[in-house]
Amino acid sequence: MPNYNIDADPKHTYDAIVIGSGISGGWAAKELCEKGLKTLVLERGPVVEHVVDYKTANLDPWDMELRGGLTPEEQQKHYKAIRSGFIGKDAEHFFANDEENPYTEVKPFLWIRGHQMGGRSLLWGKQTYRWSEMDFEANAKDGHGVDWPIRYKDLEPWYTYVEKFAGISGEALGLPQLPDSHFLPPMELNCVEKHVKARIEKDFPGRHMIIGRVAHLTEPLNGRGQCQYRNRCSRGCPYGAYFSSNAVTLPAANATGNLTFRPYSIVQSIMYDESSGKASGVRIIDAETNEDIEYKAKIIFCNASTLSTTQILLNSTSNRFPEGMGNDSGELGHNLMDHTYRVGAIGKVEGFDDKYYSGRRPNGIYIPRYWNIDENSKSDKFLRGFGFQGGGYRMGNSEAANRQEFGGDYKDSIMKPGPWEFFITGFAECLPYHENKVYLNKDVTDKWGQPTLSIDCEYKENELAQNKQIQEDAVEMLEKAGLKDVLGFDNEHEPGYGIHEMGTARMGRDPKTSVLNSTNQIHGVKNVFVTDGACMTSNSCVNPSLTYMALTARAANHAVEELKKMNI
Amino acid sequence: MDRRKALKFTGSMATAAVVGPSLLSLLQSCKNETRIDWTPQFLTLGEAAFVAKVADMILPRTETPGALDVKVDMFIDKVYANLYNEEGQNHVRNEIAKFNTDCQSDFGADFVKLSDADQVKALQKAEETSGQFGSGVWGTTVGNPEPVGFYRSFKSTVLWAYFSSEEIGENVLNYDPIPGGYNGCLSLDDVGNKWSL
Repeated sequence: MPNYNIDADPKHTYDAIVIGSGISGGWAAKELCEKGLKTLVLERGPVVEHVVDYKTANLDPWDMELRGGLTPEEQQKHYKAIRSGFIGKDAEHFFANDEENPYTEVKPFLWIRGHQMGGRSLLWGKQTYRWSEMDFEANAKDGHGVDWPIRYKDLEPWYTYVEKFAGISGEALGLPQLPDSHFLPPMELNCVEKHVKARIEKDFPGRHMIIGRVAHLTEPLNGRGQCQYRNRCSRGCPYGAYFSSNAVTLPAANATGNLTFRPYSIVQSIMYDESSGKASGVRIIDAETNEDIEYKAKIIFCNASTLSTTQILLNSTSNRFPEGMGNDSGELGHNLMDHTYRVGAIGKVEGFDDKYYSGRRPNGIYIPRYWNIDENSKSDKFLRGFGFQGGGYRMGNSEAANRQEFGGDYKDSIMKPGPWEFFITGFAECLPYHENKVYLNKDVTDKWGQPTLSIDCEYKENELAQNKQIQEDAVEMLEKAGLKDVLGFDNEHEPGYGIHEMGTARMGRDPKTSVLNSTNQIHGVKNVFVTDGACMTSNSCVNPSLTYMALTARAANHAVEELKKMNI
Repeated sequence: MDRRKALKFTGSMATAAVVGPSLLSLLQSCKNETRIDWTPQFLTLGEAAFVAKVADMILPRTETPGALDVKVDMFIDKVYANLYNEEGQNHVRNEIAKFNTDCQSDFGADFVKLSDADQVKALQKAEETSGQFGSGVWGTTVGNPEPVGFYRSFKSTVLWAYFSSEEIGENVLNYDPIPGGYNGCLSLDDVGNKWSL
């Protein structure tokens, strides 16, 4: 891949500016560049060039000075994100610096950020599911939040479009609550997972257990290699086997010759032109030199990530928009959602001690939602529903350490894999509540003197009722499947742990109650598009990234049509 | 997020109650079994002798290398020196001292100076009294298990240090950095030892 052109010209008016280069920003860049628009992508962090900048991709534990451990200084640098439990030396450099980028937890909220080319597309879990008709209808049907201005049929062709290019592996099921994607061959379940699947599907009609649908290639696609089952994804994949902006969309954008990619560009605000009623460009701070620079463009795509996009809009004030760009409704910053996290059950599986597996599969199992999908599955305890992720594996060091043994025979025995363990953990849909919100905090500034976000968000009755059901169902399913020592758990994690933060600049039909229209344009500023998680009107119970991709491709197509018609 | 990247060393960071310090005599390292032919970064010579002896008893040399063959003691010293903050370091010091205090009251001497039989008894007691790690999912513990005692935490660090060493990882366990595919149902006999990565 040739190097990126990083020389942005403040005198030039670009056709398009894209703020952020993660999952949605990468798609915006690709679509706009391929449609002929001279596009400037502004990224707050450094360039991470595919393969070249995956410095840790091939390191074994013993190749690292402290075998993957983080020093107290490194832990302090990530003092918030470290709560997630999965930051190690191998990928620490792809997590944002929490000390330089503070935020305030009015109520506990974990905000994980990736400040580099590709953003969190380097770090994501790759679980990839279409939303269903019932997701887009949910708000209208039960009256929470506002109605989505689109339906499944509006997004269906765009799902297919992005799936064909991204590469999604999975198994078709034909379920209305989890529409099938355009699939590459599915990954394989292991023998314990197959066993549990058979038991659950026999004992609980209507429930299904499948291999996760994931953005990993199971066969080569467009010059990218297939998954090698190393499970070192978060270091960057040298094969380009999983979908990231770095491996997939940004190289495609770059190949058009229309892309300028400016790293170390912290977008401070979007400039509003009172005479034209449109945005004229953006103001940035160079993260290295602290220089203030303005860039001009005809259209602007906001893809900084859910909360960062809203932060920029809140900071983009003008006479017309004193409370933040597009905030006529007063809903900007409101209706923040995430999926509940770490509620489920875990247990041991007997009878498979002579079985093992080879390869480190970067994927697990998925149990699609089964509550509130029809009359027969209606709950009287909660609205909406949840799905489960999980998996089976043979246990390692902590089980070996737990055995009350030591010495030669003990050592020889722990050379073999430990007992089989299997778990499922639920992800429940969160209702959109106006009072779950973010707002600018001018008292706490970041390294560059900019106001930061205060986050005031909590789960409420409907989410907690679902968590209760998740745990009950999980324990029941695992016990009926014959697992031993089944432990139900609810870690009572605050929002943010799901890392599926959505909302705060929602789409809607009415400018009085929403920020964006049906094609992701700010109601009052039609040349500004928001297509990252901020745009979401509800949050389903399935992982959102595929929907961001589809919404972005759809909005980019609309943007170019509107530009051609001189409507924006 | 790539939640499947759970840290293998999480267990080693577990902490337990802190107790008051007591001093170790450097004379302990004079005992024949101890092997301190290196300069610790963090541990005192006496503490290093303790770490080496316990690690060697947990994972002695058999047909495969033992903990000391792959320098587990030296790596643990490096871990304490570089991955622990001051509070964690003080905790380790205090816990080693407490272990020795218990050995003095149970058997009349610090751990490294005990007879082989009493050292075995001391570790057996520690195995029975230092709790168990809870189950974990994607890097975080689930449920509300009691925090483990120092010995369990230490043993976990020994296992991490052992299995993440190059010798064990590449030559003793099954090493396959690029599996290329996934087979979900193999006979364990066809694999032998567990995978190292």
